[in-house]
Amino acid sequence: MHFTNKKSLATRSAAVLAACALGAATVAHAAEPKSKKTEEQQIKALQEQLLAVEMQLKKLADQNQALMQHQEQIEQQLQQQQLALQKAQAAAAAAPVQSASALPGNASALPGNTSALPGQPSSASGAGQAAPPTANTSGTGMPASANPLPGAQPGGFGAGALDNVRLWGYGELYYSRQSRDTSRTTADLARAVFGIGYRFDSKTEFNSEYEVEHAVASSEDPGEFEVEQFYVDRQLTDRATLRAGLFLLPFGFINEHHEPTNFYGMQRNFVETLIIPSTWREGGLSVHGDTDFGIAWSAGVTTGVNLANWDFAPEFPQYTTALELANNGPAPLQATHQELALASARHLSQYVALNYFGLPGLDVGGAVFTGKAEQAPGTVGDSRVTLWEGHARWTPGKFDLSALYAHGAISNVADANLANPGSPNPIPSAFYGYFVQAAYAAWEYGDYRLNPFVRWEYYDMGSEYSGTVPQIPTGTVPLTDSPGDFGTWPSNRDRVWTTGVNFYVTPHVVFKADYQWFDLNKAFNRFDLGLGLNF
Amino acid sequence: MVSNNKTRVYAWSLLVVAAATLSACGGSSESPPIPAVQALSAAAVAGEALFNDKSLSASGQQSCATCHVKARAFTGDPAVDKGLPVPLGGVNMDEPGFRNAPSLMYAAFTPPFSIDDGAASGGFFRDGRASSLAAQAVQPFVTPFEMANQDAAEVVSRLQSSPDTLRKYIAAFGGGTLGDANATLTNMGAAIAAYETEDVEEFEPFSSKFDAYVDGKVKLTDREVNGLALFNNPGKGNCTACHPSVHQEFSSHALFTDFSFDNIGIPRNWNIPANAADPVNPFTGVSLKYMPAQTNVPADAEYTFYDMGICGPLVSDPQDGGARPDLARLIPSCGQFKVPTLRNVALTAPYFHNGVFPEIHKAVEWYITRDINNNTGNNPTPVPAGPGGNPYQAVGTFFTATDGTPDLYQYNDLPVAYDANVNAGEVPYTAPAIAGGNGPTMTAQEIDDLVLFLCTLTDGFDPNNPSAYNVPAQCQPIASP
Repeated sequence: MHFTNKKSLATRSAAVLAACALGAATVAHAAEPKSKKTEEQQIKALQEQLLAVEMQLKKLADQNQALMQHQEQIEQQLQQQQLALQKAQAAAAAAPVQSASALPGNASALPGNTSALPGQPSSASGAGQAAPPTANTSGTGMPASANPLPGAQPGGFGAGALDNVRLWGYGELYYSRQSRDTSRTTADLARAVFGIGYRFDSKTEFNSEYEVEHAVASSEDPGEFEVEQFYVDRQLTDRATLRAGLFLLPFGFINEHHEPTNFYGMQRNFVETLIIPSTWREGGLSVHGDTDFGIAWSAGVTTGVNLANWDFAPEFPQYTTALELANNGPAPLQATHQELALASARHLSQYVALNYFGLPGLDVGGAVFTGKAEQAPGTVGDSRVTLWEGHARWTPGKFDLSALYAHGAISNVADANLANPGSPNPIPSAFYGYFVQAAYAAWEYGDYRLNPFVRWEYYDMGSEYSGTVPQIPTGTVPLTDSPGDFGTWPSNRDRVWTTGVNFYVTPHVVFKADYQWFDLNKAFNRFDLGLGLNF
Repeated sequence: MVSNNKTRVYAWSLLVVAAATLSACGGSSESPPIPAVQALSAAAVAGEALFNDKSLSASGQQSCATCHVKARAFTGDPAVDKGLPVPLGGVNMDEPGFRNAPSLMYAAFTPPFSIDDGAASGGFFRDGRASSLAAQAVQPFVTPFEMANQDAAEVVSRLQSSPDTLRKYIAAFGGGTLGDANATLTNMGAAIAAYETEDVEEFEPFSSKFDAYVDGKVKLTDREVNGLALFNNPGKGNCTACHPSVHQEFSSHALFTDFSFDNIGIPRNWNIPANAADPVNPFTGVSLKYMPAQTNVPADAEYTFYDMGICGPLVSDPQDGGARPDLARLIPSCGQFKVPTLRNVALTAPYFHNGVFPEIHKAVEWYITRDINNNTGNNPTPVPAGPGGNPYQAVGTFFTATDGTPDLYQYNDLPVAYDANVNAGEVPYTAPAIAGGNGPTMTAQEIDDLVLFLCTLTDGFDPNNPSAYNVPAQCQPIASP
C-alpha cells in the first residue's frame, strides 16, 4: 500500500511536468509561421496562451499540493498503524498473552505491553486482542494464525520458501558493582538469545530458542550454549492446544516472559530465580487453553528433578556475590532441574497452572508442580519434589502492583542428609520466597518511558531440613581458593530491597538502573546498570 | 464438531494422565549388583607370585611385600625398617630410601597423571611420576636402595632361577619373551598390576565400617558420626576437600582422595638419613651414593637435600613412555605430593611422604595447628595455650634436628624461598595473620572424634560379626572415655 501510493503520486507528478514542457514547446513552435500578423496581436495571443498555461500550471500545482497532503496523511496513518503493530508485538512478547499456558492478556504496566498503559485499551478481558495470538518468544499457547506474527517486523516471515519461518531474539548486558567489595565488580553480556519458529500449517507450529550465556561458551570460558525451548504446538480446538517438546513451565511472572523488557530491575527477582528456577523448562507433553470466562489453564507431564548429583560438600561458599547467587545455581531446584540434557526420566512429574484474567487490569493465578525425583545417594524410598506458587498483578492507571509467593518441598531427604553429616549444604525439606512490587509509569514522551519501581522480597533456600542442618562455617573463612580471599560464609536466606528505574527508549530497548540492599548478606549490596532488548 | 473437538481434548488429557500414572509406577531404585569375586587371571596369579618372591631381589631378602605389608594395608613396617620412616633395601638390606612406602590399597583407581591450569593430579608413586600401576611396579626391581638389581637382565635371570614364579609367569605370558629382558620386566610389571587390580579382596575390598554404614548395615557411634561431620565441615576439618567422603568419578565408592597434588608444608623429618647435612648410611657410616642430583634448590637454601615431590629430585623412568613430564621448571609445584587415600589410614603409620608423624592423632593435630602454635620461630603471632586458645604445644613445630630444637624456619622441609608454595588458603590451615586471628578450627575433643571416624575407614568390618572387627591399636585408647 505504502509504496504503491508513492509510486502513483510520482507518476502523476511526472505527467504534469511533461505536459507543461510539451505545452510550452507547442506555443513556441506555433508562433513562427504567423509572424506577419501584427506584433501586438501576436503578443496578445501569446500572452493569452501564456496565461492559459500559467493557469493550467497553477491548477496542476494545486492538485499536486493536494496530492502531497494526501500522501502525508496516508504516511501518518501508516506510521500509526505500524506503531500499534509494534506495541501489539511487544505485548505479545511481554505479557502472558496467549502464552505457553494460553493465558489471556497480562495486566502489565510495562511499556512493552499495551494493556495497562494510560490511554491504551486494556486487553485483560480479551486474551490480548492487541497482541497477535502467536507470541514471538517464550510462550505462545496458540498455534499460528493468519494474523501478522510478532517478529515479522523487521524480521519475520520472508518471501517464498521462508514464508513460514520466524526469527526473533533478545538479550541483556549489565554492569554490577558490589558497593562493599568493589573488587568483585562484574560486567557481563549475560544473555544473547535467538529464536526460530516455523509454521507447518494453520494449526501446527514449531518454536525454539537458543541462548549463549556469558558471551563466550567453551570449555575454558564461563559461558554456556543452551537450547532453552524446542517444542511443537498443535491446536486441537479453538480453545485447547497440545504442546510437545522442551518448553517453559507456566510458573510466576518471569519464567515464561523472561525477556529483559518484561521485568523491573536489571536482574530477575530472587524469588523467581532461587525458588522458581527461571528459566525453568522441562521436556514433556502439555495441553493448554482458555475459557469464555477468563480462565487460562495448562497441564502437563514432564521430566522432573534429579537429586543424585547434589553437592553436599562445597568446600567454599557456592556464591560470594548476589550475581553468583543467581548464576551459580545454589538453590534447590536450580541445582537439580535437568534442562533435558540426558535427563533422568525414570520418574515423570506433573504440573497444573491456572490464571484468571476476567477483570481488566487484573491477573491472578497459580501453579503446582509435583513428581518423584531421582534420589540422592543413600535414600531409601522415593523423594517427591513439589513446587507451588500463587501470584497476582493489578495495574490501576499508571500503577503496576504485583505480588508472588512460591513454596517448594522435597520429601524423604533425611537419609541422604544423614549420610553427609557436617555438610554445609544438605538437601532442604522446604524452601520458599515471596515479593511485593510496585511500579509507576512516571513519564513518557513519544516512545520514551520512565518506570521507577520498588520491590521487597524474601527468600529462604532452606527453611526446613530433616536428618541434619547445614553446618555453616563461622567466623572468617576462605571464600574461594584464591589465597587470602577470606570472608564470612553467606546466609542462604535474605530480605532484599530493590529500587530503580526502567527507561525505555522504545518498547523493545530498555536501559535499567537499580540498587539492592541485602539484610543478612550485606556484602551483596550492589548497584546494577544495564541494557536489555528484544525483538 | 465442537463436541468432537472436546472429545479430542479429553482424549489428550487422558493420555497425559495415563503417562503420569505410568511414570508414577516407574519402578523403584535398585542397588547395583554386588560384583562376584572372580578367579584371578593367569597374569594376576603370576603377579601375586612376583609380588611375594624375595628371590627376585639382589639381597634375596626383599620382595614387594616386604615394604607393602598386607596387615598394614600394604605399607611398610617400621619394625622391619629398624625404626626408620623409610624402607631399607639394597644388596645388604641396609640402604635407606627417601620416602615412606605408600599404601597399595585402592591404588588401582588412580587416574593417569594430568596437569590442568597448573593443578596436577593422578599418576603413580607419591609424585605421580609413573604412568601406570604396571610402570610403577617394575621400578623397585632395579632401584639400588630397594631390590637393587643392576638391570632388567638381572631381574630376568633371577626369575628364571625361581621355578614356581617362573612357571606362573610362563603360564600367563609364555616363555617366548624371556630372551628379551626389557619385555619380560614389562610383563612382570603388568602381572603385578593385574594382581593389585584383580584381587579386590586384598586391594579393593571396600569392607570398612564406614562402607557398612554407607550401605545402611551398621550405625556409627555418635562420636564417629561427629567425626565424619567434622571431616566434612568446610569450617572445621575440611578434610573432604581433598579426601572426598563421597564417591567421585573414579569409583562408585568414596576413595578418600581426589588424586590431586598439594603442598601442605609438613615438617622436615630428620630421621630420614638423606636429610642429614652429610647423608650417610646410618648402619655403615658410608655416604649414600645413590643420592639423586638436586634440582631447583636455591643456592642459599637452608639445608642440602630437599625432597620436593613433583618437581624433583626423583624423575620419571625414561623407558616409561607415558610418564609424567619433567616438572622441574614448575617452581610453584615444588613441594607438592599426591593426596593419598585415607582408607585404612589407621594401619599406615607413619604419616606423610616423609613419615614425620608416627601417630594419626599427631598428624591431625598438626593439620589443625600448623600455623597456630607457640613457636615464635614459626609464627609471629602465636595463639596462647590454654582454654579457648591453642591446646597443642608440641605439635606443629618445626625442628632443626631430631632432638627437638625449634627451627627458625617454618615449613622447613622446603627452602624458605618456596614458602609461598605452601597451601595456606584452605581450612584447616587458617594462618592467624591472614584469617583475622582465628584459633584452631577444632578442639581437642573434636580431634579425638575425627580420629575415631578415620578409624572406621579400616577394612575388615563384618556387619554380622561387628565384635570381630580388628580395631587398629592406635584407635583404641581414643575410643575409651
